[in-house]
Amino acid sequence: MKRTFTYRLHIFLFLLPALILFLGILIAPIAMSAWYSVHDFNSISSTSMDFVGFDNYITLFSREMTNPETGKIFANDKFMGDALVNSLILAALSVFIQLPLSLIIALKLSKGIRGERAYLSIFFMPVLISTVIIGRLWMNIYDPGKAGILNAALRATGADQWLFPWITSRITSSKLAFTGQWTGFRETALGAAFVPILWQYVGYHMLLMYAGIKGVPAELLEAAELDGCTEGQVNRHIIIPYIKPILKVSVIFAVTGSLKSFDLIYALMKDTTKAELPSTLMYKLLFLHNRYGLGSAIAVVLIVLCFAFALLITLAFRDKGEKVS
Amino acid sequence: MKERRNRKLKVSTVLVHLALLVLVFINIFPLYWMLTFSLKTNDEILGYSYKDPVTGVRTQVAPNHVGLPNQWEWGNYAEAMNTGNMGQYFLNSLVVSVSAIAITMVASFMATYALTRLVWKGRKAMNKFFMLGLTIPIHASIVPVYIILSRMSLLNTYSALIFPYAAFSLSMGILISTGFMGDIPYDLDEAAFLDGCGVWGIFLRIIAPLMMPAIATVGIYTFLQCWNELLFATIFVSSGKYRTLPVGVQQLFGQYTTRWGPIGAALSIATIPTLIVYVFLSKRIQDSFIAGAVKG
Amino acid sequence: MKKVFALILAAAMLLSMTHVFAEEKTVLTMWCIATESDANRPAYEAAIAAYEAAHPDIKIEWEAFENQSYKTKIKAAMSDPSTLPDIFFTWAGAFLGDFVNDGNVYCLDETYTAFADSLPEVMLQNASYGGKHYGVPLTMNIVTLFANMDLLAEAGYEAVPTTYEDLIACCDALVAKGIIPFGCSGGETWCVTEYLEPIIEKTIGYEALNEIFAGRATWNDPAIAGAVDTFQEMITKGYFDPNGLSLGNDQVKANFIAGEYAFYQNGSWNCGEVNDAEGNFQVALFPVMDAEKATYGQVIGGPSDTLAVAATSKNPELAAQAAFELGKEICHYGYLAGSGLPAWTPDYDTSEVKALVAAVAEIVAKADGMVLFGDTAMSADPANTYLNFVSKVYGCEIDGAGFIESLTNALQ
Repeated sequence: MKRTFTYRLHIFLFLLPALILFLGILIAPIAMSAWYSVHDFNSISSTSMDFVGFDNYITLFSREMTNPETGKIFANDKFMGDALVNSLILAALSVFIQLPLSLIIALKLSKGIRGERAYLSIFFMPVLISTVIIGRLWMNIYDPGKAGILNAALRATGADQWLFPWITSRITSSKLAFTGQWTGFRETALGAAFVPILWQYVGYHMLLMYAGIKGVPAELLEAAELDGCTEGQVNRHIIIPYIKPILKVSVIFAVTGSLKSFDLIYALMKDTTKAELPSTLMYKLLFLHNRYGLGSAIAVVLIVLCFAFALLITLAFRDKGEKVS
Repeated sequence: MKERRNRKLKVSTVLVHLALLVLVFINIFPLYWMLTFSLKTNDEILGYSYKDPVTGVRTQVAPNHVGLPNQWEWGNYAEAMNTGNMGQYFLNSLVVSVSAIAITMVASFMATYALTRLVWKGRKAMNKFFMLGLTIPIHASIVPVYIILSRMSLLNTYSALIFPYAAFSLSMGILISTGFMGDIPYDLDEAAFLDGCGVWGIFLRIIAPLMMPAIATVGIYTFLQCWNELLFATIFVSSGKYRTLPVGVQQLFGQYTTRWGPIGAALSIATIPTLIVYVFLSKRIQDSFIAGAVKG
Repeated sequence: MKKVFALILAAAMLLSMTHVFAEEKTVLTMWCIATESDANRPAYEAAIAAYEAAHPDIKIEWEAFENQSYKTKIKAAMSDPSTLPDIFFTWAGAFLGDFVNDGNVYCLDETYTAFADSLPEVMLQNASYGGKHYGVPLTMNIVTLFANMDLLAEAGYEAVPTTYEDLIACCDALVAKGIIPFGCSGGETWCVTEYLEPIIEKTIGYEALNEIFAGRATWNDPAIAGAVDTFQEMITKGYFDPNGLSLGNDQVKANFIAGEYAFYQNGSWNCGEVNDAEGNFQVALFPVMDAEKATYGQVIGGPSDTLAVAATSKNPELAAQAAFELGKEICHYGYLAGSGLPAWTPDYDTSEVKALVAAVAEIVAKADGMVLFGDTAMSADPANTYLNFVSKVYGCEIDGAGFIESLTNALQ
């Protein structure tokens, strides 16, 4: 085909709808956020924005600040570090608990177990339920009052007798005793938020991995069986290396998903301070504190981090993949 | 020896099934619980005490946590339906999701065609550029997107949600379409070109019809993105006419904070239609989802 | 392929349906937070019906939003004032002040003169900036100590304690009987301020607290640290329901009404609901902690619920007129329903006013001084920093000294 002007025009026309959406709704806002993030403006409609350089980023990453007048050091309530750590904990929990669980289920189901399809359908089902609904449902499950099913179960089995004092002994942020307020303490709230995430997304990753395993050529598996490999050896040496590209996608989704996660915490807790994540902190700074520059700085940090993690994970998987082959 | 191996196998199979059944229970139980408490009264959920008017003795009635309702309170559903306007919200969510899916599909098919079938300098870079979208958090752009939408007078319309949702689904759409389009033999393009088809002719007559299997896959991934979205839907739409299901449900929680029955009913109303569709189409949905994983 | 085109066609049709057709009547748009189950909903409905009946050529198109998401929504709308409705609900004080500073709110001075007879100017002061009025007050509310008299009787108390020592003795007696004295939602920080602010006010006096909220004085006062420590002592001694830490306010209120707590301290807008509940309830104030600086009659509260008119309104004068007429009627019906005290002088039969509402009205009439709610008085950034530290107080994550130190330095 000739590289004529009309040919180029056609290429442009084919790309146009995607480009309009992409530039208009993804790229332009990022550029605007980056612009906002080096300014101080505390009123969304005001036209006066003061250029402050990287001050907003410094504020976000300072655990303590110095009062310019008195010279005293005080705790910075806009510190982003704890929220970032929380989201990294969520990411680690996802990668090291959720994904292995998904993989184990996928490995078992793909071996042609009876009722394979039914199991698959049931495990995938929570993916289709709205996160808001899941958040609210688990809020009811955790309810510390009489209706909460989790505490009722613990009381019925007598587990609260030893579990609650044990949790209380592990709580250092507060002097209060734990009596089943799962979303009320810094030490428990993040875990309480992880369980519904685990519940919802195990099926998602399981199905991705299941698809990958089903794609492993039968000859490979047969050859391994002839060589007398055990099931564990087949899994380790043939299936897992084969589905590496899918594992990579799962890890990227799990990590960036944890960094981005917002809806569930927002639906699960009225006050998100006990399990603050970068996105909930950003929401607060934007819409409660009216600190649009600071909030935009979090947006930029998040975008950079998501991108960096995606890149790192890709690199990590590439290295190992080469060693295996 | 062989027999022993078989017996051992059976035991392990039983164990596997047992473990899987535990997981099934964990998956199903919260939903079962939701359905039961949606049909109970607060007294049944929380337990209550009453004083005998004659003897003055207080009797404590324990809450019914996991059992079926003693008395089926269908009124909870009527209440959630009437005050919550759930039907309208459900329809709105459907309109927004279907439109976003359609736009995503058209835009990503066209872009993928240009990126994979047409030869030009910079197409690889352009593809990578589109893949950036996979990692961008949707909430990070809320203030700028709000300003852009308001400049275009699109706030408070279906479009205020359709276009952002489509934009945020685009990268995934292109990723999946690339996989599917790669399966279409290049010979077909050339044959059509020799028959006198232009690039549009090839796209419309050859590529588009062969992309049918991709429709369901792109559709499902886009649906998962749009159907649940809460923050954009809260802020970009103010009129109840265009309010989507997650916002409607959230609103309803504010209203029935302490009345568990109607809350359960609202949760169920918002969940059941999706689950019914899933029950009938689960194999197709899973196959399409799987196709996305394999092709992407 | 046909399916794709069918989908596109359907989408295009739906898009074209999104255009609202103009109506013949003049339309005024309004946003508020009176959702279907809100206590104020009937008052809004009645007021709007009355307004539309009186002005057949005007139609009020109104939308109600859930409280928390409304705060986000109204701020986002301010980024492009053309997206604002003609009339919007707002909280007085700094919340509205931020919008006024940006020039997004229509000044009501001219319209007010016609209503000055029934709306005392003092009621407008929280929505006045630079000597100009920008908001129509609806109701006014104060922090009220609700008491369940049946439970107090079980502990041997016939009246609500009016001194701190008496209150503590009463709490001990209640705890001994297995009754939880207080319920407070730790899951919603504003509920914690409903306890903390009166305790601070009754320790340092209302003038001092007012100066701090207004930013004219710092938090650096050991007496405040002492008040915070006292509050935390009450929490750690088990006077508060431990479950409150992760309960929402509605659950706490429901528990109080169901007779699980002896006291519940929250806004007087709950009067109607508590009044109509089964049981024997009374209203009072938190007792004095330091008699040298504070008196029993000092309260937290004031007119806060407000209607304002957008500067971008196409019919600002008409909208302003409507805001006053609506405000007056919402106040009227809200007062009778017990969702607040009237900011407007009643010109209707008030003999039907609920007993608890009347009791709070009497408290307000005798009030020695008034301080607006802290998170309303302060502007957005300091208010939320303040709330962040208050939420640490309820969980006993910081003590009084840490609280005043942090706030003194953070709020500059």
